[in-house]
Amino acid sequence: MVNTHMAQRSWGFWINRGIIHALLIAAALFYLLPLVVMLLTSFKTMGDIRAGNLISLPAEFVIEPWIKAWSSACTGVKCEGVGSYFFNSVQIVVPAVLISTAVGAINGYVLTKWRFRGSELFFGLLLFGCFIPFQVVLLPMAQTLGWLGLANTTAGLVLVHVAYGVAFTTLFFRNFYVNIPSELVKAAQLDGAGFFRIFWRILLPISGPIIVVTIIWQTTQIWNDFLFGVVYGSGDTQPITVALNNLVNTSTGIKEYNVHMAAAIIAGLPTLLVYVLAGKYFVRGLTAGSVKG
Amino acid sequence: MAALEIDNVRKVFGSKTEVLKGINISIENGEFLILVGPSGCGKSTLMNSIAGLEDITDGRILIGGKDVSGSSPKDRDIAMVFQSYALYPSMNVRDNIAFGLEMRKVPKEDRLKEVDRVAKMLQIEHLLDRKPSQLSGGQRQRVAMGRALARKPKIYLFDEPLSNLDAKLRVEMRTEIKKLHQNLGTTIVYVTHDQIEAMTLADRIAVMKDGIVQQFGTPQEIYDEPANIFVAGFMGSPAMNFIPAPIQKEQDQLVAKVTTADGRTYSLPLGQRGAALKDYEGRQVILGVRPERISEVNITEVEREDVVVVRAKTEIVEPTGPDTLIHIDLNGVEVGCRVAPDSAVKAGEEMDFMVDLSKAVFFDSETEARI
Ligand SMILES: Nc1ncnc2c1ncn2[C@@H]1O[C@H](COP(=O)(O)OP(=O)(O)OP(=O)(O)O)[C@@H](O)[C@H]1O
Ligand SMILES: [Mg+2]
Repeated sequence: MVNTHMAQRSWGFWINRGIIHALLIAAALFYLLPLVVMLLTSFKTMGDIRAGNLISLPAEFVIEPWIKAWSSACTGVKCEGVGSYFFNSVQIVVPAVLISTAVGAINGYVLTKWRFRGSELFFGLLLFGCFIPFQVVLLPMAQTLGWLGLANTTAGLVLVHVAYGVAFTTLFFRNFYVNIPSELVKAAQLDGAGFFRIFWRILLPISGPIIVVTIIWQTTQIWNDFLFGVVYGSGDTQPITVALNNLVNTSTGIKEYNVHMAAAIIAGLPTLLVYVLAGKYFVRGLTAGSVKG
Repeated sequence: MAALEIDNVRKVFGSKTEVLKGINISIENGEFLILVGPSGCGKSTLMNSIAGLEDITDGRILIGGKDVSGSSPKDRDIAMVFQSYALYPSMNVRDNIAFGLEMRKVPKEDRLKEVDRVAKMLQIEHLLDRKPSQLSGGQRQRVAMGRALARKPKIYLFDEPLSNLDAKLRVEMRTEIKKLHQNLGTTIVYVTHDQIEAMTLADRIAVMKDGIVQQFGTPQEIYDEPANIFVAGFMGSPAMNFIPAPIQKEQDQLVAKVTTADGRTYSLPLGQRGAALKDYEGRQVILGVRPERISEVNITEVEREDVVVVRAKTEIVEPTGPDTLIHIDLNGVEVGCRVAPDSAVKAGEEMDFMVDLSKAVFFDSETEARI
């Protein structure tokens, strides 16, 4: 009796499991399909693309489209591929992410542990920055960059991204630090540590999870940015997103879908990589145990 | 010279929440001050103010005669054990204890020596390499103590340092702290909820309520001469009995009248205290008698003038081991009596009790202040 009952239950259990898994796999395939198509297409010859359908395997496996996309495809008037623009993007993203994360961390620290008169108002105004649409800041920012002599420079783009990103990074760090007990800071003050030392020795070592979150967020945002790149960058300083657009829209000759796909994957690779490498550090409570209760 | 002087200190959070309402406390060098009071009365706030972690709204704080009201925490030379431990989560126990020394530029060798000394004293040597998250509540508490003890400050502030320990360790640590205080001779301010901790450790006790010091005095003063009903009820366990009783004149002497549940009336002579109670003749006061002053009849003491024998029905009988607590009814309120276990009767039976009025106190029934 008991056994049949158990068996029945486990039958139902496995059927349920099967259905859930089938649904999940179908959903995953659906979302993966564009990437698969892009990958397949990027390794096909143009003849193959014209002849076959979208999801057929390459008849002949070629890597020339990748090489061309990287080093000799035409992006507007120049025909040097997207390679150099890839490094433009790196040069924009790395400093912009590091600076905005650092500033956000200090801001969050001050707003939670060194409150001052009006700090809540300050935070409220800063939050406002998260809701300002890109389009609104375009003209004033162009003006400002002009005054600063940073128009059309990498430094100018870094500045724009830092200014825009600080609202978000501050929000992240503030919300993280607000849950860290203030007694930690008080104890360190009594131990004789000052403003920066408390930050460096006490708070930063437990900020791992939020640093990772912020870096992932900022990297994705800035790497994927197109609007600021197209408006404030020019020629040699444009990021890869703009180059990709130019490549695809270059109207001379035939559309080389395989090259376009390869370039698009190159453009998206870094953000993918960031998720794969840092994703697992996303949610790690490191403060457990510092407080009673 | 006063080691610590708190002069009319007020603290207002925001614009309305007044948490400290004019605190005045002064203790001498090497004294052990205990702050007691119900939860939320401002004890931690006062500690933070002394440490300089909260700015005070009004008043002055002097340490060793020097006004430190405006000084930063690190210049006040204070070590504190926080109610929530506040151990640095990223550092192991050794670094936690040594951090304050490091910040004060003590050479590494001396730091390690000091850590070892403190660890031995608190029996946490085997925990030195662990992170706070790998410790039990009691162990964390001891590390927090160790962090304070590694330095030799002018004043130690302890905010309920023993509240999370089990009963046995708590008693051990209590003795340990007492010894420590005797050896170091450092001034200590200590918050506790525990009566026994307060009575055994303190040179002075400040009883607080709603941001006001109700009474500041030696443990014996607080116990024997409580300033008001709140202090009397707060200190001592089981709590003092408060019996509303009319004051009358009988044979040229003032007495307080009490009536048992079955209608027997007794006159409790006020003796010398009658003088202070002269104005209360014919009025109701509140008579405060601690349970240990109502006991079984004892031949040697029953002859005394300030002792009255009362016969009453016992309502509840609670043996505690060393003695038995019996509840009776006097003037309509429940009154606890502490008798020897051998002389206790069964609940519901009648028994003779000896009320010793030598330590009885009287409170005004309106102001609740002691008369
Ligand atoms: N930063 C703050 N802002 C506003 N009110 C506060 C703040 N800190 C404490 N209070 C209030 O001040 C009062 C006293 O708090 P405090 O922590 O000093 O109490 P306590 O006597 O230490 O209590 P406990 O015995 O529970 O530790 C409480 O009512 C609390 O809500
Ligand atoms: Mg407290």
